[in-house]
Amino acid sequence: MGVGALTLALAGMVRSEQPAPRIDPAKAVPALFDDYCSRCHNDIDRTGHFSVDDLKAADLSHGANAEAWEAILRKVGQGEMPPRTKDQPAPELRAGFLHWLQASRDGFAAAYPDPGRATVRRLNRVEYAHAVRDLLALDVDIARDLPQDNSGYGFDNIADVLSVSPTLVERYVAVAGRVARLATGLGTPRPVVSAQVVAKDGSIMNGGRPAYNERSSDLLPLASRGGAVMRYYARAGGRYTVSGWLNANTNNESDRLPEDRVSATIALAPGAHTIGLAFRRTLAPDDTVQTLRNTLDKVPMPVAAPVALPLDVLVDGRRLQTLQVPSYRLSDRYAQQNFPRDVMEIDVEGPFSPTPALDTPSRRRIFLCHPASVAQEQPCATQIITALAHRAYRRPVGQADLAPLMKAYARERQGADFEHGIEAALEALLVSPHFLFQAETDPSGAAPGIVHPITDLDLATRLSLFLWSSIPDAPLLTLAERGRLHQPAVLNTQITRMLADPRADALTQNFAGQWLYLRNLDQQRPDITIFPQFDTRLRAAMARESELFFTHILRTNASLLDFLNSDYTFLNQRLAEHYGIPGVRGTAFRKVALDPRWNRGGLLGQGSILTVTSYGNHTSVVKRGKWVLENLLASPPPPPPPNVPALKESHDGKLLSAREQLELHRADPACAACHVRMDPLGFALEHYDAVGGFRLADAGAKVDADAVLPDGTKFSGLPGLRGVLMAHKDQFTEAFTERLMVYALSRGIVPGDRPQIRAIARAAAADHYRIQTVIRGIIASDAFRLRKTPDGLRIALGGKP
Amino acid sequence: MILLPRPAMNRRSLLRGAGAAMALPFLEAMAPSAKAADAAARPRRLSVFYTPNGMMMDPFRPATTGVDYALPPTLEPLAPFKRQMTVITGLGHPQAAAMGDLAAGHGRSCPAFLTGTHVRQTEGSDIRCAISMDQVYARHLGDATSLPSLETGIDQPSLLGSCDIGYSCAYTNGISWLNPTVPLPVAANPGEVFERLFGDGDALDSASRLAQLRRQASILDFVAEDAARLSGQLGASDRHKLDEYLTATRDIERRIQRAAAAPMADAGSLPRPSGIPDSFDEHVRLMIDLQVLAMQADITRVATFMIGREICNRTYPEIGVADSHHMLSHHGNMAEKKTKLAQINRYHMTYFAYLLRRLSEVKDGEASLLERSFVLRGSAFGDSNDHDHMDLPVVIAGGLVPHSGHLTVPKGTTMSNLLLTGLQALGVPTTSFGDSTGALSLA
Repeated sequence: MGVGALTLALAGMVRSEQPAPRIDPAKAVPALFDDYCSRCHNDIDRTGHFSVDDLKAADLSHGANAEAWEAILRKVGQGEMPPRTKDQPAPELRAGFLHWLQASRDGFAAAYPDPGRATVRRLNRVEYAHAVRDLLALDVDIARDLPQDNSGYGFDNIADVLSVSPTLVERYVAVAGRVARLATGLGTPRPVVSAQVVAKDGSIMNGGRPAYNERSSDLLPLASRGGAVMRYYARAGGRYTVSGWLNANTNNESDRLPEDRVSATIALAPGAHTIGLAFRRTLAPDDTVQTLRNTLDKVPMPVAAPVALPLDVLVDGRRLQTLQVPSYRLSDRYAQQNFPRDVMEIDVEGPFSPTPALDTPSRRRIFLCHPASVAQEQPCATQIITALAHRAYRRPVGQADLAPLMKAYARERQGADFEHGIEAALEALLVSPHFLFQAETDPSGAAPGIVHPITDLDLATRLSLFLWSSIPDAPLLTLAERGRLHQPAVLNTQITRMLADPRADALTQNFAGQWLYLRNLDQQRPDITIFPQFDTRLRAAMARESELFFTHILRTNASLLDFLNSDYTFLNQRLAEHYGIPGVRGTAFRKVALDPRWNRGGLLGQGSILTVTSYGNHTSVVKRGKWVLENLLASPPPPPPPNVPALKESHDGKLLSAREQLELHRADPACAACHVRMDPLGFALEHYDAVGGFRLADAGAKVDADAVLPDGTKFSGLPGLRGVLMAHKDQFTEAFTERLMVYALSRGIVPGDRPQIRAIARAAAADHYRIQTVIRGIIASDAFRLRKTPDGLRIALGGKP
Repeated sequence: MILLPRPAMNRRSLLRGAGAAMALPFLEAMAPSAKAADAAARPRRLSVFYTPNGMMMDPFRPATTGVDYALPPTLEPLAPFKRQMTVITGLGHPQAAAMGDLAAGHGRSCPAFLTGTHVRQTEGSDIRCAISMDQVYARHLGDATSLPSLETGIDQPSLLGSCDIGYSCAYTNGISWLNPTVPLPVAANPGEVFERLFGDGDALDSASRLAQLRRQASILDFVAEDAARLSGQLGASDRHKLDEYLTATRDIERRIQRAAAAPMADAGSLPRPSGIPDSFDEHVRLMIDLQVLAMQADITRVATFMIGREICNRTYPEIGVADSHHMLSHHGNMAEKKTKLAQINRYHMTYFAYLLRRLSEVKDGEASLLERSFVLRGSAFGDSNDHDHMDLPVVIAGGLVPHSGHLTVPKGTTMSNLLLTGLQALGVPTTSFGDSTGALSLA
């Protein structure tokens, strides 16, 4: 894999170990601009919306034009500028220039730390849900009831983008009421029906698909078949009816007929449960799948009396009851004979004859005391509300904080009783801006523009939002209150603790889920006529592989470079079959060592990424190339120019392949500038179809996965692409740091961050590219630790400062 | 001026009776018998139905103008309503032009649809649009209803990496803007919408709902003091965020107090939807049904519905189209793609017909909801292959305006003129909206 020496030397980083040539900036910079830049990048032509005319070497010493200089550092450093076709500066000159530029930028940042602008931000729906879970020990899916948040810079936790509309506040108010009721367990709940529809595959061209002869969830027994499990929060102890809507098994599979509804009555204690219905795995399944179907009006009739199948009712992993369900066998002529009984939807109705929920985790968390007399009520209420507010507001609370909450308590207490009063105070707490918003404090009397370390309390909140997407827990809060959290040894210990905690799963769900576009996977719609193998199990397995992969790297503090190239991944049988990998049996996921002949490894070998970067019925070289540039190299292509003509599909009557069509585009210089960067990366992945399966041919022609980079480097297929990416591993490390930093700071990157990103990436590179080094580096960075006192006179009109 | 219908009897007398709420508050029992003079006093509704990725214009555009035009293929599903609607061709949104911004189209044209404004090109936090026409009407109505407006849709917002380049996802996730900086979120989950309209499982009957609302109002009161105090401690730019929150809480408090004084809408025996249905058909019908229900119970008089977010990539296997919608809309003049695109357009039109049918079935006094409504069906583009925002596929319906079959207007006429006409028909005393040059004459 020949990688140009030029690319290697300039791959985003200038190492201090290399003795770099010295230049005299006052003379060399204007000369460089004249010779290599300003012919295009001047005030009149403004090629690429960029001009060097106002830039002077002296800028670097007072941080002027920082954005422009950082852009130059990036473009020239990555070898993109000057363009290949134009004159290039001598290697020593280029190296000297870059060394001076980077050292100047880094030096300025060290001398004048600038943490950027941190605006007040509200908790997004995920953070709100986690905060409720951690504050009240309440395990309910609350996020579902809040509107989805808008994203910015690729993430949905960006302070400025998290707007506050009346619709949103209305939802928070409604949700606060529900949470308060659930947490206190008060009130006599009426029986309500909660339903969960089971994700099922539909029939293909009337052929139908049999229910799978394997367990459908890790929460169901190993020997189970199909069915489903739902998480259910029982508001009160009592009787509940669990019903399953089964497939009709005799005719149209998706009808829900009353005669196919089976029910069982169970007793539940108040609190969170998992409730499941499942059949039993057949040890000798009939694997034939009929695809014929009689298209006339005849309704297929059973050929024999039904057989009774056991349907187990499982609560929290234990089998409580078994129902006997009739199962019919149809004539061999009909596809429906392969529709074994399965569950389409689970309903849970209740509670019936409820008993008060006196002992739940959330009640124990809330009621630190129970007043034995009226005289004890006020002090007890104060104690409870103070404790709750302390955790919820993430700081010690005073009289002014407690007054409105106590008022809410008193008003409700008057009309009802002590516990209802507490419930009202809790509702008020959950709607309070002190809970919903993260507003950081500046030292009193600090002049605008002064940079100071954030308080320990603010640090605790930033830390827990970053690593847990939640509020700080008691140990973190205590350290912060004692003013010890910022001490390096203490901070590092806490970071270790937090990363080992199950709550760090939030980084996988929220950071990786958005960085890797995993959240898009649910809405991807591959064409089932072309990819009939893309079923619900495969979709779920793809997402799981990438999640487990990220979590593994995070928890074992493995090298970031595993994202680019790994000799392992996580598979279950379904996914392994899709990849053509033998020897993996069962529905559970496990780590699998990869043989290079299996054509997998790293993120780009994973079905999830390959699928979300495709269309429903064909791959997209451009989408995949763009994904790599954006998410792995932080080098997104600019938007397409106006009047992009559509790809000509046929030329001289001959149908063109995707490659040929794109070649036509790259012949046009206006398009070529970007496509020469993007397309090769996508072409190298052409061996993977629109659902991530490996292929040697596409539409009758052999797949051609050869590609050429703008600098002439040739490579082929995923192994070749991995080589190219590894050659740019420092650029990747910077790109990863940048993405994680956006997520950690809840804002976009500004030029002042770039020196810090470089420093963090260097530290990671020196530590075998370990992922936790990046995390610790971000937390130790100026941007995370410091804060600039905002300008009081600036009036916000929704614009940039 | 807020025009409120005068109740025929005291609302309090209703609450006193039996504690049972009315399923249709005041529309039947309380309204005076409809006379011509009263027609002006009945509540007027606005309903907007939006389809993404433009429209194949040839199968949409009738060949002749006037009332005796033949319905082209895309409009065929609207046959039963031909006399109660007008097809308007030739309208555009000049403000959606690039004007020096990037080449993108969706990010500019979608927010221009109901605002007639040129949005600020940004992917960041400093989005700037303008108040949309539906929110102008909602503002005019003030606290007349317990929900100021209802924004619903089918797609979950913000699929990553798939918003228009250079434009924030906020510009293509919705069409309704409260003010220049606050886009209103679109609800796609029928369960969530049901709850907004009727309350959650614990308080479906009006007595409990009333108690719940009263408590919420007093809590908001206490919280408002808290918010004011916090706001005072913040820098000026941060205060803006808190102020949005404060304004919203005060708004909700007022509405609750108003709602508490009026008969509650009762969901009765309506089953609460459990979530997002598997099938597109079921999902769309459910969202339309909820919207109609909300208007029937006078919970709101302003509703917008998007059958997909702009740049929607949904496929429609149920009508045999396996290619994604957005890709098809860039058809490059290929016949097969244009045919499939037109199929999608027609499929969407059947749901607009469904909306009109439901509105016509619900009685509001002597007339139907449809006759009391201004209904607008539109898209941000005509032919979306080149992002053409100057030849828009518009259909208006409902009894608040006269109808003239197929009306074609001079090229370059801004759609804001039509939005202005709509506002005036709804009773808003205004002479301009967006970049309007005057109300569009529909007679």
